[in-house]
Amino acid sequence: MIGYVLRRIAQLLPVLLIASLGIWGMLYAVPGGPVGMLLGENATAEQIAAVTRDLGLDRPVLVQYFDWLVGALTGDLGNSVYSQEPVLKLIGERLPATLQLAVAATIVALVLGIPVAIISALYPNSWIDRILSGWSALALGVPTFWLGILLILLFAVQLRWLPSASTYVAFWDNPVQALRSVALPALTLGIYVSGILARFLRASLVSELRADYVRTARSKGLPERQVVGTHIMRNALLPFITIVGLMMANFIGGAVVTEAVFNYPGIGRLMIGAISNRDYPLIQGCIVVILVIYIAINLAVDVLYAYIDPRIEYS
Amino acid sequence: MDAGTVTTVGNGSVSEPVLSVRGLEVDFVGSGHPVPVVRGVDFDVYPNEVLCIVGESGSGKSVTALAVSGLLPETARIRGSIGLNGTDVTSADDETLRMMRGQEVGFIFQDPATTLNPVLPVGRQITEGQLAHGRLKPADAPARAVELLREVDIADPEGRANQYPHEFSGGMRQRAVIAMAMAGKPKLIIADEPTTALDVTVQAQVLAVLARRQAETGAAVILITHDLGVVAEVADRVAVMYGGRIVETGPVGDIFKSPKHPYTSALLQSIPRIDATEARLEPIPGTPPTPAALPTGCTFHPRCMLGNGRPRCQSEDPALRPVGPTQMAACHYAEEPRPTPQAATVRSAPAPRTGGEPLLAIDDLKVHFPIRKGILRRVVGHVRAVDGVTLSVDPGETVSLVGESGCGKTTTARTVMGLIKATSGDVRFEGRSIVGLSRGAMRKARRQMQYVFQDPFSSLNPVLAVEDIIAEPLRIHGLYDEMGGDKRIAELMDMVGLSRTMFGRFAREFSGGQKQRIGIARALALQPKLLILDEPVAALDVSIQAQVLNLLQDLQKELNLAYLFVAHNLSVVRHISDRVAVMYLGRIVEESERDALYDSPVHPYTQSLLSAAPVPNPEGRRARRRIVLEGEIPNPAKPPPGCTFHPRCFRATERCRSEVPAFLPYPGLPTRAACHHAGPLRPEEVPGPARDLEMVR
Amino acid sequence: MKKWLQALRRNLVALMRRPGAALSVIFLLAITLAAIFADFLPLDPLRQRVANALMPPNGTNWFGTDELGRDIIARVVYGARTSLITAAGAVAIAAAVGVPIGLVAGFFGGWRDAVLMRFIDVLLALPGILFAMAMIAVLGRSQLAALIAVGVTGIPSFARITRAQVLALRKRDFVTAVESFGGSSGYNMFRTILPNSWSPILVQVVVLSSVAILLEAALAFLGVGVPPPTPSWGEMLRTGKNYLYEAPYYAILPGIVLTLTILSFDTIGRALTEILEDRHDTGAGLKPEGSKA
Repeated sequence: MIGYVLRRIAQLLPVLLIASLGIWGMLYAVPGGPVGMLLGENATAEQIAAVTRDLGLDRPVLVQYFDWLVGALTGDLGNSVYSQEPVLKLIGERLPATLQLAVAATIVALVLGIPVAIISALYPNSWIDRILSGWSALALGVPTFWLGILLILLFAVQLRWLPSASTYVAFWDNPVQALRSVALPALTLGIYVSGILARFLRASLVSELRADYVRTARSKGLPERQVVGTHIMRNALLPFITIVGLMMANFIGGAVVTEAVFNYPGIGRLMIGAISNRDYPLIQGCIVVILVIYIAINLAVDVLYAYIDPRIEYS
Repeated sequence: MDAGTVTTVGNGSVSEPVLSVRGLEVDFVGSGHPVPVVRGVDFDVYPNEVLCIVGESGSGKSVTALAVSGLLPETARIRGSIGLNGTDVTSADDETLRMMRGQEVGFIFQDPATTLNPVLPVGRQITEGQLAHGRLKPADAPARAVELLREVDIADPEGRANQYPHEFSGGMRQRAVIAMAMAGKPKLIIADEPTTALDVTVQAQVLAVLARRQAETGAAVILITHDLGVVAEVADRVAVMYGGRIVETGPVGDIFKSPKHPYTSALLQSIPRIDATEARLEPIPGTPPTPAALPTGCTFHPRCMLGNGRPRCQSEDPALRPVGPTQMAACHYAEEPRPTPQAATVRSAPAPRTGGEPLLAIDDLKVHFPIRKGILRRVVGHVRAVDGVTLSVDPGETVSLVGESGCGKTTTARTVMGLIKATSGDVRFEGRSIVGLSRGAMRKARRQMQYVFQDPFSSLNPVLAVEDIIAEPLRIHGLYDEMGGDKRIAELMDMVGLSRTMFGRFAREFSGGQKQRIGIARALALQPKLLILDEPVAALDVSIQAQVLNLLQDLQKELNLAYLFVAHNLSVVRHISDRVAVMYLGRIVEESERDALYDSPVHPYTQSLLSAAPVPNPEGRRARRRIVLEGEIPNPAKPPPGCTFHPRCFRATERCRSEVPAFLPYPGLPTRAACHHAGPLRPEEVPGPARDLEMVR
Repeated sequence: MKKWLQALRRNLVALMRRPGAALSVIFLLAITLAAIFADFLPLDPLRQRVANALMPPNGTNWFGTDELGRDIIARVVYGARTSLITAAGAVAIAAAVGVPIGLVAGFFGGWRDAVLMRFIDVLLALPGILFAMAMIAVLGRSQLAALIAVGVTGIPSFARITRAQVLALRKRDFVTAVESFGGSSGYNMFRTILPNSWSPILVQVVVLSSVAILLEAALAFLGVGVPPPTPSWGEMLRTGKNYLYEAPYYAILPGIVLTLTILSFDTIGRALTEILEDRHDTGAGLKPEGSKA
C-alpha cells in the first residue's frame, strides 16, 4: 500500500517538475521580465541594474530556478509586490474560506445530484428521466456567474433572506452565520456540479444496468432493490468516487468565478486581485498552492479507489 | 410425439414435465415494426433429462430460454403459455417470478468473464440468492458457499470463496456459476452456450461437472448451443431451431442417424468431423435469416435442396408434425427421400513432400514479451509467448497450428508475418531470411505472403467501400494499375464468389461469411504464395463455415497456395490440413501428417485434446471414454520447470519436472514429439468410467 | 469528398429528427447569422447616450440600456460575434494541437506517448479557468490572448479523446491488416486511423465549443477577457452585477442568450453522441451468438 502511494507520487514528479518550470518561467515571459514588473515601464538604466543585482538576476538561469524551487519547497514563496507581505501568509488567510465553500458546495452537489441520477437511470427514457436529464443539462448549462446573479436577485434583492455580498465566517465560530454567508455561493457552485455528477452517475448506472452480471443477479431471484442497491451501485460508485474527488479538487481553484460573483474572500478572489495588480509573486504563489492541493486530492482519490476496487493490485 | 402427453425418458421412469411450453411467441418492439424472434414454440422438459436446443445466430434459441424465467428485457412482448412446475410464467407477477428464479430454475450464461459481479466476493454471490429467498441463515452462508464450491471441484474452496472473480480462471468461473445456479437445488437448469467461451479441455471439465451435479440433484437441463459435437455428447433429446421456430425435435440418436428436416440433415452434412477425414463438405447455400427479414412460407425454403423452389414451401409455413415414431419435423415434404449430395470429390492425397526447399521455414523461433514494473519500467520477467517453434510449409501444402488459447499459435503466425518482432530464431521464405529485414525489403517479402484475420467484423475498414478494401494492398504497393485496376478487383471478387453488383457497398452491409470472403480476396490481391489463416472460420455460423472452408480448398487447388492455418477447432483442422502441429505454452509438442496425428497421437497432451473434443456422433458416446485434464494452462510468464505440461500430465515422472524434453522424431510414424514418455495411449491411462459424462446419468 | 458530404447530411438529418437538437441547431444558426450580419442591422453597440443610462425595457430599447445608455440588445448581438469568434478560434487551436498529439501518442506509444502525455498532464494539473487566467496574466489582456488561453485549455481533451480512439482502433484487425500488407505508419495513421476517428472528434468539437463560450464569458466576467469597449456577454454580466438593485433587468438578456448558446451546443453534442453510438451498435449487434472472441 505504501509502495503504491510512493509509486504514484513518483509518477507525478515529472508533472510537478514541468509545472514548476512553467510557473517560475512566467515571470520571465512577462513583458519587461521580473525587473519591469517591479519598476514599471519608465525605469532608468541604473534602477534596472540595481534591481537586477538585488534579485540575483545576473546569476545563471539554472541557479535562479533552483533558488526559487528550493524556496517554494521550503514554504518561501516570496513577498507580494503590492502589499509586501509574505505570499504564503496572504494565501493562508484565504484558504479556510475556500475550503469551507468547497465542502459546502460538495454537500449540495451530492444531495442534488445522486437522487436525480438514480431515479433517471431506473426509468430510462421515461417522462421523469426526461425532466431530470433536462434539469441536469440546465444545471450544467447555466453559467455559475449568471446563476449567482439570479440567486442574488431572488434571495437577496427580492426576498431579502440572505446577504448578497458574502463574508467569511468560520463554521466553528458561528455556525448559523457561517451557513448564511456560505449558502448562496455553495448553492451556485453545488447546482452546477450536481449537473455534472448526475449526468455522469446516470450514464454509469445505465451502462451497469445492461451488464451481464445484473441478469445473473436477477436469475438468482434477488429482489430488485438488492440488484440495484448492492450489485449495480457498487460498480457504478467506483468511478463516481473519482469524479467527486476531481470536483472537490476543482473547487479549490475553480471557484474563482463564484467567489467573484459573491465577493467571497477565498483564494480565487486573491488571485484575481493579484492579476489586476500585476502582483506576479502572489499569482505564482496562488498557482503553486492550488496545484499542490489539486494534485494531493487527485492522489488521495487514486489511492482510495485502489483500496476500494478489488481488481486493482498495489503491487 | 404429442408434446402434451406424459412421456418416458432415458431412465425409463414416467413423470410429469418440469417445464411445458406451448405456443410461445416473442416479439421485440423497438422504434420500428415489432420483430418476431420466437414464432410459436412448443416443448416439454422432464426431470433428469437434457434437452439441447440447437440453432444458428438469430434462430431464437437464447430468447426462448430467457422467456422461460421472465428475464427478457421490457421491449419483449410474450404470448403463449410457459408452465414451470405448474406455475404459468407468462401471467405470474414479479414477486412470484422472483421466488421462482433460483428456486425452480437456475441459469448458466455464456461468458463467465462477465456473468459474475467483479466487485463482490465469489462466495457471497453464490449464496446470496438463497439468502434472499430466506432459505439460508446469514450465519450459515459462508460455510454453504464453501460446500457448493467444493461440489464443483474447486480446489481450496475456503480460500476461493473470499476471492473476487478476476482471481478465478475462466473454467473456474464457469464452475462457480454452476455452483450458483445449483445453490437452490432448482428443478430446471438453463445453460445458454455454457462452454462456448472456453477451451476444449476446460469445456470437458465444465460439462463433466454439470453432468455430475445434474445426476446428483435430478434436475432437468436445457442446454442451448450451436455446437453439434456438444449436443451429441450430452443431449437426451434435441430441438433444432431455425427462423424462430422448432423445425425438428426428437431423441438425440434418431436426430443424428436419420434427420427428418432438410435443415437438420444439411447442417449435419456441413460440419467438418473429427472422426472422419473425408471429403468435401456439403455447405448450405445462403445465410441464416434475420428475424427482421424472414422469408415467406417456410423460412428455410430459400436454402432448401428438398423443397427446391416448390410453391407450397414459399407460401405455407409447415406445422411441426410427427414424422416417424419418435421425431417431429416442420416440413411439407419430410418423408421424401433426400436428393443425394453431389458426388463428394475426395481430396487429392497430399503431394509427397519433395524434400526440396520449403516455402516457409521457421527455425527455433522465440517471442518473449518483457513484463515491466515500477517507475523505471524495469524488466522483471518475460512472457514466453513463443518459446522455440520449428516448423516448415511446402508449396501448395496446408500446415495447421492447433492449440488452446494462450498457447502462442497466433503470436507465431503474426511474427512470421512480421507484425511482431521475433526475440530470436529465424524465419525463411523461399530460403531467404525475413527476420530483421529493412522496411523496404520486408515490404517486398510481404507480397508473397498474406494474412487472413479471424474476426471479419474487425478486419475490414468500415469507412472504405468493398472495392477499395480489396484494392488497398495493390495501392500500397503501387501496383493497382499494373495489375489491371478495376478488372483485377472484379476478377478477385469472382474468385471468392462475390457478385460484382456489390461494388460500392461498405463492410457493414455484408454478412459474416461475405466479409470473410472479402478478407480472402484482399489477401489474394498481390498473388501471394502463402496465406496465413488465423482462425478464419471461428467467428462464423456453422452453416457458413463449410462455405468458407470449401472456398479455401478450391483456391488452394486453383492457385497452388500454401496455407499456414491457425485454429483451435480440431475438427476444422482435421478437415483442411495436410500436416498438423499441436502447440502448448509456446512450444510445439507434437507434429505429424494429419491422419497419423489424429489416429495415433503419441504426446499425452495431443491425446487429451483429442479425447476432450466432442464428436458429433451420439452412437459412440457410450463406448467412448475420455481424459479430463486437471487444471488449466499455466501462466506463460511463469512456465513450470522441465516439461511445461507436466503439472497436468498423466504420465509425468520426476524426470519431467526437471528436464525439458527435446523435439524428436518418433520411430515408426511420420511424427515428431517433445515428450520423455511419448507413445500410444494405453487403456489403463484413460480414467475409469466414473469420470465419464455418460455414467452419471 | 462526396462521402463526407453524405455523412454530414446523414448526421444533420438525424439531428433534425430530434426536437431538442433541432431547436438548438436553429437557435445557433440564428445567433451565428446575427453575429455575421450585425453590421447590417439597425443596431449600434457603442453609441452612448448618458441621459438614457440604465433605462428599463421600453419601446426603443426592448431590453433597456446599460450604464452608459447603450442599447442592451445591440450589445448582446455584437457580443455574439466576440463569443463565437473566440470559441471558434479556441476550438481550432485546441483541435489543431490536440489531435496530432493524441494521434502520435496513441499510435507509437512508448517514449513518445510518455513525453506527450506528461505535457498534457501538466495542462490538466490546474482547473481550466485558472490556467487561462495565468496565461492572460503573462500575455496581457486582449481578444487574441483570450482566444489562445481558452484554446490551450482545450488541448488536453482533444489529445485524450484522439489517443483513446487511436488505442481502440490500433487493436482492430483492419489496422493490423494494413501493416500486414506493407502500409507505412504514416499511411496507417492518416489514411486508416484518422478517417475512422472523425466521429468522436466531431462530438468533441461541439462539446468544446460550449466549454469555450463559457470560459470566454467567465474570463470577461472576471475582468480579464476581451477588453472593453468590445461588447462581450461576460463583460455585460460583470457590469450588470453592480446594478442589481437599480437595474435588475440588466443581466437578464445576456444571461439568457449565453445560457441558451451553451445549452444548444451541449444538446447537439449529446444528440450526436447518441446518433453515432447507435450507428456503431448496429454493427456490433450482428455478431453471431456462438462466436469465440
